[in-house]
Amino acid sequence: MRTHWGKTISTVLIAALVLGGCGSGTNANKNASEGGGVSEVSKEGFPIVQEPVKLKAFTRIAPVNGPFKDMPVFQDYEKMTNVQMEFIESPTDGFAEKKNLLFASNELPDIMYRSAITPLEAVRYGAGGQLIPLENLIEEYAPNLKKLMEEYPEIRASITTPEGHIYTIPGIVTLDSARTDKRWINTAWLEKLNLKVPETLDELYNVLVAFRDEDPNGNGKKDEIPLTARTGLPIVAAMSGSFGLDQQFGYNVNIVDGKVEIWMGNERNKEMLMFLNKLYQENLLDPEIFSHTEAQYLAKQGSGNTGVFFDQTNNNFLPIADQYTGIAPFEGPHGDRLQSQGAPVPRDQGAFAITSVNQYPEVSMRWIDYFYSDEGSTLLRFGREGEHYELVDGKPTYKPEFSTAETQPKLTPYAGGGAPHLISEYVASYINPPQVQEAQKALDPYMPTIRYAAPMFDEETAQKVNVLRNDIDKYYEEQSTKFIAGALSFDKWEEFQSTLKKMNIDELQQIYQDAYDKMAK
Amino acid sequence: MNNAEIHETAAAPRFRAKRGSRLIKQIAKRYDLYLMLLLPMAWYLLFQYGPLYGLQIAFKNFNPGKGILGSSWIGFEHFQRFFDSYYFWRLLWNTLSINLLSLILAFPIPIFLALLINEMRSKSYSKLLQNITYIPHFISVVVIVGILTVLLSTNGPVNMLIHALGGSEIRFMESAGWFKTIFIGSNIWQNMGWQSIIYIAALSGINPQLYEAAKMDGASRMRRIWHVSLPGIVPVIVILLILDIGQFMNIGFEKILLMQNNLNLEASDVISTFVYTTGILKGEYSYTAAIGLFNSLINLTLLLLVNRFARKTSETSLW
Repeated sequence: MRTHWGKTISTVLIAALVLGGCGSGTNANKNASEGGGVSEVSKEGFPIVQEPVKLKAFTRIAPVNGPFKDMPVFQDYEKMTNVQMEFIESPTDGFAEKKNLLFASNELPDIMYRSAITPLEAVRYGAGGQLIPLENLIEEYAPNLKKLMEEYPEIRASITTPEGHIYTIPGIVTLDSARTDKRWINTAWLEKLNLKVPETLDELYNVLVAFRDEDPNGNGKKDEIPLTARTGLPIVAAMSGSFGLDQQFGYNVNIVDGKVEIWMGNERNKEMLMFLNKLYQENLLDPEIFSHTEAQYLAKQGSGNTGVFFDQTNNNFLPIADQYTGIAPFEGPHGDRLQSQGAPVPRDQGAFAITSVNQYPEVSMRWIDYFYSDEGSTLLRFGREGEHYELVDGKPTYKPEFSTAETQPKLTPYAGGGAPHLISEYVASYINPPQVQEAQKALDPYMPTIRYAAPMFDEETAQKVNVLRNDIDKYYEEQSTKFIAGALSFDKWEEFQSTLKKMNIDELQQIYQDAYDKMAK
Repeated sequence: MNNAEIHETAAAPRFRAKRGSRLIKQIAKRYDLYLMLLLPMAWYLLFQYGPLYGLQIAFKNFNPGKGILGSSWIGFEHFQRFFDSYYFWRLLWNTLSINLLSLILAFPIPIFLALLINEMRSKSYSKLLQNITYIPHFISVVVIVGILTVLLSTNGPVNMLIHALGGSEIRFMESAGWFKTIFIGSNIWQNMGWQSIIYIAALSGINPQLYEAAKMDGASRMRRIWHVSLPGIVPVIVILLILDIGQFMNIGFEKILLMQNNLNLEASDVISTFVYTTGILKGEYSYTAAIGLFNSLINLTLLLLVNRFARKTSETSLW
């Protein structure tokens, strides 16, 4: 009997210990990392700390990437800095879910890296105390970043909350051509059919019809795809400029004479959707545009069987790159000719943040700052000189064996996008070859003079924006898709407008107006 | 889940009578059985009752940084927001209609299949039929949706057939009108064999003498099915129906999510997928906790109603 009891009790105890153990992980972590003295952080030069410091970073890993710990940049940087960064890698698919669950369960890493934290999330988690304010750290420990913020004031505007806090650091892109999707047209087909580059939407339409009907690839089949784009509504962003619809604040927003307009219910938007609907109905727009995957879209670029498409670089169709040329935006029915699609200088918002469990915020800030210099950015993107890259005309260029689509993403975490670092002309030989520069030149005259990033709101307003946009964005996306695909008749346009009104789009517009007014001051 | 409940209800009165030290002795004597109970109980406490504590965030403005206790109460605001939402009626209608249709269309089919297999004279044929019908159950949802997409795409085999027969192409996966048909149809295909197994087992438990007696009385095959087979499995049918209702508002989440796109959202937007996209992907925990709670309440109401109805009409029920 007694032995039985002993067994029962020990089983209960073990169960309790096992169950209880789950919760105590974070505490143990805290205790272990305490004891590192903050005073040892050197403000300049390397190493950052004399005694090695261990940090955990949660990061997104693109399908093309290899493990971060095998990348030369992180191996070398660890030796330089004495900071051992342990990456918790989450694949791009399901990343948003994982990230939110981390915050919701309060099981935080030290650092969020390449984390695409939206301004709304930054405010929510910042105000809740899970992300720490960085403005003072930047001031003291991030000379490179600080310099960039002085040079490009829009960076500070886009990451500072109304209370004056900075919770996340963006990836900064000073290279123009890395912020736009070029308009690539199949010049081989144009030549074959004896057509000239379309300048207006009407000319574009005629060219697309010719691509569809006159068998430019010469195989006797009607298998050409005249126009395609990324899955879903990026086609709207690509075409809206021709209808005078801009994409400010990373949203469907026009700013004219200090007035902010969310143009989703505007008649111009109706015209655009009708135009896209016409293309879709006549099989000029890729019928798979709402269902193909990113990978399928990239494969279509490389197939050479597409007439017009949009992409930032020519990486995805390099073997047949000479068949394509980057062209200017098309002039719309009202004479508009704007490159509305394009990102602001702080392109990748929320790329880096420090959480409240981090015992070494100063070290973390110094760690990331290096990547905002040309030198650090070169290490991140190209690896070791002589081994992975060489200087060509004074600029780092991959050695041939590392410039393929298989090897390059294993070398650097920037492949796949959104890594916190500086992308300048100096480090962009791979994404900014002459052909891409040419294509950017075609867009340059039509770029808006200033491109505002999504604004930061205070916590209460951010919550309100969140509530409003949840309904409105979902509705706009769904209805626009249906208008384009012809699943919804344009007779319903007024209902569409009145539903937007019912969802309080005016209130949302006023919030953006206030944010703009504050910025303009 | 039933095991635990049955244990509790069956065991409780006996122990209450004995009380105190005798209870402890009783437990000590049967300690191995209680140890076996420990794990399922821990599972229940941890994963079923533990999360109940978190439900309070439906009435709070939850901020993970402040924790569940630290967040401020705001009452029924999230519920109000949901009821006022443009999507409320659509979500409710889709959730109810998809599940109700599934129930009406998909529930009887495994029963028919079981009766059919039971009546087959050739054992090898019936085994073959059984195998063919239950194998799809083992294919993962992701693969099923992949297969559907390939089969039903604009240049897939189904549309090629329609073309060959002179019809014009149908965008199955991209139209709201087809969504429910495809969803429920493929569900039936996938699950009928698996679900029929339990009925086949029940049928094989019917006393053969009943059939012989019916035969002697001159009952035809259909008569025998109607008067012997069906009544024999009615209790199983009722229990399974009630269990199905217990899952009523939640079935098909993964599959619906995978099949969802902007063009069929009108028909495919259901509460569970809405909770996922708004709650987890956009971080609106409180709001979606409220929606989830509302969903569960509907489900609980349905379950109670059906159970009561079953008890009154067929004398078979869960409790």
